[in-house]
Amino acid sequence: MKKNKMLIICFILPCLITLLIMYLYPVGRTVLMSFFSIESVTAGMSDWSFNGFGNYAKIFNSPAFKTSMWNMLRIWLVGGVFTLSLALLFAVILTSGIRFKKFFRAAIYLPNVISAVALATMWIQYVFNNDYGMLNKMLKMVGLEGVKWLGTDMKFWAMLFAFIFGAVGYYMLIFISGIERIPADLYEAATIDGANKVQQFLKITMPLLKGITKTNVTFWSVHTTTFFLWSKMFSPVDTEATTIVPVVYLYDTVFGGKGVTTRDAGAGAAVGVVLALIIIVIYFIMNKLLKDDDLEF
Amino acid sequence: MKKKIVSLLLASVMAVSLLAGCGKTETPAPAEEAAPAEEAPAEEAPEAEAPAAEEEAASTDGAADYSGVELTFWSMWSAGEPQAVVIEEAAKAFSEKTGATINIEWKGRDINTIIQTALESGEKIDIFEDDYSRIAKIYKDFCYDLTDMAAAAGYDAQSFKCFNDVATNWAGFLPCVTEQPQVGGIFYNKDIFDDCGITTPPATWEEFLAACQTMVDKGYQPLALDSAYADFTFGYHLDRYLGEAAISELAMNGGWSENENVAKAAQDIIDFIAAGYLAEGAPEEYPSSQNKIGLTGKVAMIVCANYVCAEVNNNSGTEINWSMFNYPSVEGGADTSNSYAGANSLAISSYSENPQAAFDFLLFLTSGEFDQKMADSASQIPADPRNTAPAIMSGTVEALQATSNPLSWNMGLNDNSDLKASFKDLIIQLYEGKFATGEDFAAAMDALY
Repeated sequence: MKKNKMLIICFILPCLITLLIMYLYPVGRTVLMSFFSIESVTAGMSDWSFNGFGNYAKIFNSPAFKTSMWNMLRIWLVGGVFTLSLALLFAVILTSGIRFKKFFRAAIYLPNVISAVALATMWIQYVFNNDYGMLNKMLKMVGLEGVKWLGTDMKFWAMLFAFIFGAVGYYMLIFISGIERIPADLYEAATIDGANKVQQFLKITMPLLKGITKTNVTFWSVHTTTFFLWSKMFSPVDTEATTIVPVVYLYDTVFGGKGVTTRDAGAGAAVGVVLALIIIVIYFIMNKLLKDDDLEF
Repeated sequence: MKKKIVSLLLASVMAVSLLAGCGKTETPAPAEEAAPAEEAPAEEAPEAEAPAAEEEAASTDGAADYSGVELTFWSMWSAGEPQAVVIEEAAKAFSEKTGATINIEWKGRDINTIIQTALESGEKIDIFEDDYSRIAKIYKDFCYDLTDMAAAAGYDAQSFKCFNDVATNWAGFLPCVTEQPQVGGIFYNKDIFDDCGITTPPATWEEFLAACQTMVDKGYQPLALDSAYADFTFGYHLDRYLGEAAISELAMNGGWSENENVAKAAQDIIDFIAAGYLAEGAPEEYPSSQNKIGLTGKVAMIVCANYVCAEVNNNSGTEINWSMFNYPSVEGGADTSNSYAGANSLAISSYSENPQAAFDFLLFLTSGEFDQKMADSASQIPADPRNTAPAIMSGTVEALQATSNPLSWNMGLNDNSDLKASFKDLIIQLYEGKFATGEDFAAAMDALY
């Protein structure tokens, strides 16, 4: 037993040290930084000056941060409902024994393989473009006026729609893995008892997917709070209020934007801490709401 | 026992490979070489370091002999870009001429997210490249004071004064050498102007409107506008009424409605749009509207910096007959002549062991043959005004030389970093025709506070 302990320590130690250095140290430092006034993100501690909750007060009073949080909330809620609903729908359809299942699964997942930069460019230039974009061409074909999809009124929704398109496949795969874990005999028994497909979905699939749904909601929350690239692609040159999200605000705060040389790494750290807390809170809420340990199969 | 030895060996291999993975791939600079910036203040360093390099400088053809000198250059370009190709050529030529070795690392545009960390940690960097305002304001403590070397080399004669003055004003000393100057203004298709009989570029807003009307009458669309540059375009107009200092003050503290010139400037834009002077579909998503200058041949002008010319030509596969003029003045305005000007520049780290060699290379790159090559191949303004601007940059050298106090990007609107994104949205809305009057626009700006 003693020998085994030694072995375990030998194997675990490198990973443990790596975890401490590469993960816990930056996290700890970021939390600490959020209570100090710091200009440069890598400034030595001798250049830090204690600021209490000043950085938090600053970001929560910042109009740009408030706008970015509002945008993030809309992405999380509206985008989450659409993405997870579509992902579940596709997962159920693809596990129902339809033909060409593998093709459809690959096709829906494909946007995840393509670079987000290429995807966003495709949406901006070939789908939403005023003159030669696919959507306006379709509208004009049926005699309707073209819409300014990337004007200030519609830009946020255009960005969210494009993002959902790329995200559905990822969550669909997770749902599929959950559905495939459910024993087929449960459905057979339900069919014999006279349950139709909808009843089977509501009474068997959904309850047994609680754990997977919890995972997906948590992943979606992480995905939403780290939303960055799509916002950058939809606001080229400089940040715009319609598409700003907290990580873009963080980036601009820490590194300065176009034509801006003021930086505030302390406030940037505070944004990072707030985002991490949001994810933790969502995770605990989901754990309370969706208990998956009451069912065994 | 055997099992235990194998297990320990495996664990050791894991640990060693982990450490190896964390190690640097390049040759690390010895700690004593990479002295922290605090130990080598920019002000003291030249006297301490330069003579050593100068002593080495002795060769028959007049070029310094830097045999054995190794310079590390962190570039903001990516390998293969026209600028990168010229830099590589220049480095090779400099090596052949002086014996110095220049190791270039292509860091790309995101160099601004890593350079400060690298400088703070004393990374072996002799030369680095970034926007001159960041160099002079953010990294100045890590920049070598080039003032004396520049004076000795007569750098003033081979550079644009405005950049040197502004950078010196920000940093307290000359911290960088201009590599890629930029100037803002109205860039236009000269063929359209010629076709419309507009021989003299408009200097006032009234003349500008008259020129636009002439173009519309001839079937042209006067002004392209992408939403990405809406704040830059309106910032210029606002600057002509208020001047940058007043815009900055309003941006920071509000009070837009109390300044009648704000409403006037916004009303000008509302009237401009109502008159049909914006290109069809504008404001569009970047770069759709600017591309129409090349793609349709019917759109005449755009308010931007000089790089727009190369962008439009590349994107549309055309060779527009470009020229530029300064943004027109308005009656009773505060600022009538200044232009936006910016630059990507080159700096030498304060702890560089070979500042003189590095400086000589910077001058070698930003003047003469290689500066001309850079200007021609990257379609940019030469850093050395004695060189010739490519045809695509027609008028830019004169505009830069006439600028004594360059405007910043967005002319003070960006000074409020918390609200600049919201300003931008309101300004895009102004160009979208969402405001009925200039007063409505000013009130919307005030509502942001």
